[in-house]
Amino acid sequence: MNNRITTLILTVALVFGLFALVPKLAGVRLPGNQQGYEPKQPIAYSHRLHAGELGIDCQYCHSGAKRSRHAGIPAASVCMNCHRFVAAPRSAVRAEELLAEEEGRQPGKVVSPEIAKIYTALGLGEDLLPDPNLTQQPIEWIRIHKLPDFAMFDHRPHLYAGIDCQKCHGPVETMESVRQVKTLSMGWCVNCHRDPYEAGIVLDKPQASIDCSSCHF
Amino acid sequence: MSENRYWKSVEERDSSLPRAGRSESEAPVALPIDRRGFLKASGFTVAGTLLVGCSRKPVEKAIPYLVQPEEIVPGRATWYASTCGGCAAGCGALVKCRDGRPIKLEGNRDHPFSQGGLCAVGQASLLGLYDSQRFSGPQLAGRQSGWDEVDQAVTGRIAEVTASKGRVRLLTDTVTSPTEQRLIDRFLRQFSDAKHVVYDPLSSSAILDAHQTTHGLRVLPRYRFGRADVIVSFGADFLGTWISPVEFTTDYRSGRNLDGDSPRLSFHAQLESRMSLTGSNADLRVILDPAEEGLALGRLAEKVAELAGTAYPGFAGTSSSVLEEATLDDLAERLWQARGRSLVVSASQSSRQQVLVNYLNQLLGAYGATIDLERPSMQRQGNDIALAELADELARGSVDLLLIQGVNPVYDLPLPGLAKAVEEAPFVVSFAASLDETAARADAICPEPHFLEAWGDCEAVAGVVSIAQPAIRPLRDTRSMMESLSVWLGEPKSALDLIQECWLEEILPRTSALSFRSFWDHTVRDGSALIAAEALEVSPFVISAVEPLGSVGQDEHFTLELYPTIGLLDGRHAHNPWLQELPDPVTKVTWDNYASLSPVAAADLGVGESDVVRLEVPGEQSFELPVYVQPGQHDRVVAVALGYGRLGTDRFHTAGPKWLQSKPTVDAGATVGVNAAPWTTLGKEGRGYRRSGVKVIPTGRTYDLASTQTYHFLSVPEKLAPTDGQDRPIIQEAVLEEYLEDRSAGAPHLHHFESDLWGEHEFDVHHWAMAIDLSACTGCAACVVSCQAENNVPVVGKDEVERRREMHWIRIDRYYRGDPTAPDTVHQPMMCHHCDNAPCETVCPVIATLHSSEGLNMQIYNRCVGTRYCANNCPYKVRRFNWFDYAHDDKLENLMLNPDVTVRDRGVMEKCSLCVQRIQEGKIVAISEGREVADGEIQTACQQSCPAQAIVFGDLVDPESRVSKIFGDPRHYVIFEELNVRPSVGYLRLVRNRPAITAGHVTEEQEDSHHG
Repeated sequence: MNNRITTLILTVALVFGLFALVPKLAGVRLPGNQQGYEPKQPIAYSHRLHAGELGIDCQYCHSGAKRSRHAGIPAASVCMNCHRFVAAPRSAVRAEELLAEEEGRQPGKVVSPEIAKIYTALGLGEDLLPDPNLTQQPIEWIRIHKLPDFAMFDHRPHLYAGIDCQKCHGPVETMESVRQVKTLSMGWCVNCHRDPYEAGIVLDKPQASIDCSSCHF
Repeated sequence: MSENRYWKSVEERDSSLPRAGRSESEAPVALPIDRRGFLKASGFTVAGTLLVGCSRKPVEKAIPYLVQPEEIVPGRATWYASTCGGCAAGCGALVKCRDGRPIKLEGNRDHPFSQGGLCAVGQASLLGLYDSQRFSGPQLAGRQSGWDEVDQAVTGRIAEVTASKGRVRLLTDTVTSPTEQRLIDRFLRQFSDAKHVVYDPLSSSAILDAHQTTHGLRVLPRYRFGRADVIVSFGADFLGTWISPVEFTTDYRSGRNLDGDSPRLSFHAQLESRMSLTGSNADLRVILDPAEEGLALGRLAEKVAELAGTAYPGFAGTSSSVLEEATLDDLAERLWQARGRSLVVSASQSSRQQVLVNYLNQLLGAYGATIDLERPSMQRQGNDIALAELADELARGSVDLLLIQGVNPVYDLPLPGLAKAVEEAPFVVSFAASLDETAARADAICPEPHFLEAWGDCEAVAGVVSIAQPAIRPLRDTRSMMESLSVWLGEPKSALDLIQECWLEEILPRTSALSFRSFWDHTVRDGSALIAAEALEVSPFVISAVEPLGSVGQDEHFTLELYPTIGLLDGRHAHNPWLQELPDPVTKVTWDNYASLSPVAAADLGVGESDVVRLEVPGEQSFELPVYVQPGQHDRVVAVALGYGRLGTDRFHTAGPKWLQSKPTVDAGATVGVNAAPWTTLGKEGRGYRRSGVKVIPTGRTYDLASTQTYHFLSVPEKLAPTDGQDRPIIQEAVLEEYLEDRSAGAPHLHHFESDLWGEHEFDVHHWAMAIDLSACTGCAACVVSCQAENNVPVVGKDEVERRREMHWIRIDRYYRGDPTAPDTVHQPMMCHHCDNAPCETVCPVIATLHSSEGLNMQIYNRCVGTRYCANNCPYKVRRFNWFDYAHDDKLENLMLNPDVTVRDRGVMEKCSLCVQRIQEGKIVAISEGREVADGEIQTACQQSCPAQAIVFGDLVDPESRVSKIFGDPRHYVIFEELNVRPSVGYLRLVRNRPAITAGHVTEEQEDSHHG
């Protein structure tokens, strides 16, 4: 008899406990959902500056998007296309020029500490030429947008369907450091695949498939 | 019992034998688990799942290139044309690289002779690249060393030998590389007594010797099976292991083509004593006593000579006891009628028999027609007589410097003293890439790179030159032999420089190319080039060389036949787990060699499958092997595979999962199988692979063989059998005569389904389907390994195979029909049939397997909970369950995994996906180019590598696609039509070129009816 009462009390307590937790459960993310993930990257690269202010096309750097599954992270050599000539923000260069004028000397070379990291990675010397004495060290970016191994996402069909990068990656051009905006969950993918027009697809015949094997194989 | 019934094993045919039962159900044993145990297990599972769910995602790095190579786009495959180095055949290969790593080898459709096919060995040789047991660098006196030290030691020795005018011998297998040959010649020229000895572990020396006798030229002709309407083969396994199987299969297939309006089906007779893959495909298979091979050949020659109206130089004498006169008459008649379009080949290592073969081919006008001497084959250049001389020299200890490349003589030569002789030889240099029996006894080891890591060239058939290009930076500190030789010659050069130099001087003059640069670039891009062959001076046929051949003395003992298997060949691939686990195309045994006995011989000896017997050869070491009962083998023959028992194969001790009841694939310190090479012979007659007077003695012990032949038994439950009483056999076949009259010959009377529980399926965009031509499929198993590489299929080890848990997504069911002593054989590739009305889909409780809008039966790993209901409900038995997390702890080997296919976890079901990753890729490429997917553009892995082009894949929605047309072909049928599962995989009926019903069957059936 005692046992039964104890069980009853425990069950009731459990049910009440669960009800009490429900409002809080809304804030709990399912395992694997990395929405809002914003790690500190090895170089404080600003998408706001490059993509937003300077208006560089996304695919200038992420050129894999139209050729491969992966959009890719640009090689350091791609950075060097500009940063061979741009070593520091204009404001810093201007400040140095003013200071040099004040002190009555030739302005020195200003290298932003963040941009210097690219030079270090590539093992470049003072003159920005490869220095055999320096070792090259690849830049280890922290991956943000990541799907599980059993989901095969391919950038190409989405790109050719005319979907904006921002549709999935959020307003990256406004971000100082990149953050995962969407859940990247299966439900989120499928909702768009179910009704491509809703997603603003411009093709005549959008072929978004909801077959499992579109992504899982 | 109907004689037309098909069966997979002797046990199944005679169902009174004990083993037959084990094939029936999906789960062979009931799980020893009670209710409490089940609850405990499920409790732990739930708790474990929750814990796993709580863990935070690990931080993942994304590390881009610093300077991205122009041709590499991460995530996109790059293809390089190259030459396969799996054996000396030199087939064209395409190397698929992802992010700088080769992940797949495929056939090169532009290659002049392999034409897109690539065999199981070629496919699997990729795994050798990532073999963690390869030498990491050069070795000197058994210790890790640097190239400088090794070079110093070798050049020091060279100087000594040159000064003392010592004896230098270079022992290699067939050298098909012109550059390597040039370097070898240059290297040996500096010594006063130097010789390059070539031997093939699987020798065809007698053919070359016979041509020396009859044509004055030691040459291996190129056989053109495609040009032949009548092929008679004496034991030559040309579709499996003989000389250049991919080339021969492709060519053979071109002569057996039933597509189109004018079908052509060559007649192929195989006279052999054991069941070879080629024999299993023959239209007429004659079981020959090995002792009477020469006699049969002589009788055939005599009969053909008679038809030709010339006198046969020798009289065959006694008549053959086994071969019926009528059979020989028929063969002679067929050969003669098709003269100029007929071909006789023999794998015999007796040069007297080969002379007779040449005589026959000469009579039949085969030279210049079905035998090409203008562009001869270079794939076998071995000279067994020279090898025997070298063995003598070594035994006397008179070789001062021995260099060994590409061969493993201590393992594969029958010379017990050789190991000691090599050990005691003053200086031995080995070029082996990993430790083998010979390299273990060498003074210096200069490891060569894998063929995917280095530049190489090849002229496998005169006038067909090809390039092997590196597809990855060398994983180990290696150097190809030509580079080593150039260093020792004092003019070190890279392999690329050496090859270009050779090509500029020797190859370019044989072309009409204007500039070397463009010729080179084109050849590297295409992989191969056709150039002029050097003219050979063939002397007129020497008829006096033909000698009569009689029967060799017989006794009551067995004749031992030693043969290579499809996977391991001479043993060079024994360290390759894919090939070890590849079921033999005929016996379906994995992970072992065995003594094959005919059912009659086994019954006489009172042994059955898995009983261990001792084979005793007078005056030699005896060996013990498990018995395998092989229908269709001669009763006095015991057949044993070569290539097993290699040093270091105990590495597979750890193959497969570890659990309470698991048994190791091989005991620690033991080898996989038994080395049968000591029973081969090497003497004045050259290399022999046959021994007579062998005693077979039962030992009373047993040893389990892991054979897949009785697994995955296809049958229709009685309740579901068709109501019209008609049987719809799984295999359907017809003979040519009937087929020419009625293209649907062999079809059972069709029953049309009037009511259908399933709604009509509509496929708007695509409906992927596959058709397999049973007339073309030879059962060579190239598709099995190709699929394994493409789809990350794990190796499970012998114990798991025994538990019917092998993971291959495509298997080849081998069926026999008729008399167990001389059955007909059929090979039927079997994979997921992607049924429209799929029985697996209706039983999945979690909808982890369901149908796509394109007709694919999808298997969703992340949704699967592993109930295995689907596998139980699959009539084709093609679903595979991951009982374990199969080994992926070899970091190096993991580099080879295909990143486009999920590596499956424990507890999920998997199966053929019709290479959905390739379908997706094909569709995306088409989208990005703004067009529709073209027919034939998407190829599945099995289809791509098939040397016989037996597999066609395509879209049924497109009425013009090849597969649509095949589905409309009267020869097309589907298995289990009576179940109304509507598979998307169909077959084309097997058509044999033989008289309507073979005499034997008629009489037996008549007898049956008399008795009945």
